[in-house]
Amino acid sequence: MKDYDSKLDGNWEQQINALLDGELGQADADELKSAATDDRELARAIVEAYQLQQVMADIKVERAPASLNKRLRAIPREQRPAAKIKLFQPRWVMALAAVPLAIIAVSIMQPDTPSEAEVAKARQELAIAFAYLDKAGTITGREIESTVGHTMADAVTGSVNRAIKLQNETSKEKEA
Amino acid sequence: MKRSMMKKFMIGLFCTLLSLPAIAQEDELKDLPGYVDFGDLSSMYGEPKIIINLGGTMLNFVGMMSSSESPETADLISKLKGIRVMIYSTDENAGAAKSQFAEVKGKLNSSGWEPIVQVNEDDEQVMIYMKMDGENMEGLTVMVVDEEEAVFVNVIGQLNPAELGKVMETLDVDMDLDLD
Repeated sequence: MKDYDSKLDGNWEQQINALLDGELGQADADELKSAATDDRELARAIVEAYQLQQVMADIKVERAPASLNKRLRAIPREQRPAAKIKLFQPRWVMALAAVPLAIIAVSIMQPDTPSEAEVAKARQELAIAFAYLDKAGTITGREIESTVGHTMADAVTGSVNRAIKLQNETSKEKEA
Repeated sequence: MKRSMMKKFMIGLFCTLLSLPAIAQEDELKDLPGYVDFGDLSSMYGEPKIIINLGGTMLNFVGMMSSSESPETADLISKLKGIRVMIYSTDENAGAAKSQFAEVKGKLNSSGWEPIVQVNEDDEQVMIYMKMDGENMEGLTVMVVDEEEAVFVNVIGQLNPAELGKVMETLDVDMDLDLD
């Protein structure tokens, strides 16, 4: 034996596997059979291999329980290293900050309808502005009156108002 | 080092977000020809006791609200593009306000504004300026400084002062302004 020992360890084993898989060529198959005729060990190895193949073929595949399948599938996910996103890196901070900035900018650019309370507040503010304008007019009228007399004060403030009114009327006529 | 820069960045970003609406409103008015920059007296008198910035959009809504009560008021408001008011308490120390007053007056004189009425008393100064573009009124500026307050009013657009009284009745102004 010889010669077989070395072959059984290497080449013969491959040939037996090929024979069982039906992939062994005719010449090699004949050579294997011839060798097995002379070598009981080899013959027994071939027979055992056949028997093992038969036994394997007879084994029924048992389906694993669903819970086990689920756990087995989860193993790669659990063992995968968690992706580390460093949120405080400058690029992430800028990217995150850009989102609210863009939302606010868009909301400012779009002329949205103010609430009734906002319009009422604006109306009150407008009234305050007009009151101060009126106050300025009253002061100037009073000062002019005390300096040059009532008639002249009326003439001056009146002419100012008339001048402004005239240009408003001119604009109106133009628009018409 | 990195954390410190990040902190500064976050603070800067926060301030930018807060000031965006005010910047937008101010920018809307700044582009108009009747706009006047009154400067800032807050370092001397603190924050203004009254600050009003009404742009064209808001004035349109006020005009619409008033149209059913008084078409005259709605008509007057429709010609306005903006109104700004800044009022500081001078607390019997009107020096800084008078200096600012003179500075604004210089700017108005050099940028096409015309003085309409001026009162120069020791304890009180009043100036009314108007800006015209041909026959169209672009703005009216009123400044009043006395020992109690400094008032800066900038009307952008067209306004007929003679109609103010009627409009104020409609707006139901309940104000007691000290005229003494």
